[in-house]
Amino acid sequence: MKPDEYIDDFIRKEKQEQMNPFLATKIMAEVEALDSIISPKKKISVWQYMTVAASIILIMIMGISIDSIGKQTKNPNSISVNINDSQIENLSCYISENYE
Amino acid sequence: MSDEQLIKIILSGNKEAFTTLLMKYQLSVFSTAMGFVHSKEDAEDIVQDVFIQVYRTLSSFKGSSQFSTWLYRVTLNTSINFINKNKWRNLVTDSGESLKNLFNRSNEEKSAHQNLEAEERDVLIRKAIEQLPEKQRMAFVLSKYEELSQKEIAGIMQITEGAVEQLLQRAKQFLRKKLIMFVGN
Repeated sequence: MKPDEYIDDFIRKEKQEQMNPFLATKIMAEVEALDSIISPKKKISVWQYMTVAASIILIMIMGISIDSIGKQTKNPNSISVNINDSQIENLSCYISENYE
Repeated sequence: MSDEQLIKIILSGNKEAFTTLLMKYQLSVFSTAMGFVHSKEDAEDIVQDVFIQVYRTLSSFKGSSQFSTWLYRVTLNTSINFINKNKWRNLVTDSGESLKNLFNRSNEEKSAHQNLEAEERDVLIRKAIEQLPEKQRMAFVLSKYEELSQKEIAGIMQITEGAVEQLLQRAKQFLRKKLIMFVGN
């Protein structure tokens, strides 16, 4: 036999090798796990960006306007300051002899 | 159904169509991988890697070439990467495997001496194929294992037909040179 024939014989033997019949099932199981990867990434359109930007600006404007309405209605004289906070924590209740 | 139609259906989310594509090409991919790794288990690993890669990147397939051409390119690259990744492992297992094959094989027709000779020859051929330069090896595997024409190989490797012919000639000469010492003329 010549070298070429030996090589062909070797290749023929390798080609006769049988593949695992369950390999396709195994691959499909792997593919199932990758399900989300195949769908191409959805492109975000310009109008979607615009909508998000517009809603942020709208919220800011609303916040500023609500704040300014609050400032207009606020009367500085009506502020009551509770300086005497003795009513909040009336310790005398606890230290009085009659407490028990 | 054509490959292009199948791909469209797969991209629309139908996995059954991918099974069809897998069944259609798995043997070609396996056979090509066998030409590179010469081991059933490793070839099966490559088949798995190739089809998962195909599934992942199918949306990037433009259709400028045939699907089979693209698939062969993926297979060649995956096989080469696999070999490079497992270079050290192969060095260790190579000698062990050939010894194991020698002892496990029982052939009534051939004498022990003939068996030994055939095994040694196979190991030598395998090693000679493995020593081929990358491009020559690609062309050789596609030509011998897949029996593709020079035109098809040229399309896959993105070179001219003349270059494919040259690669195949060089590969043949290289293998002959390596084997002539063992088998004679």
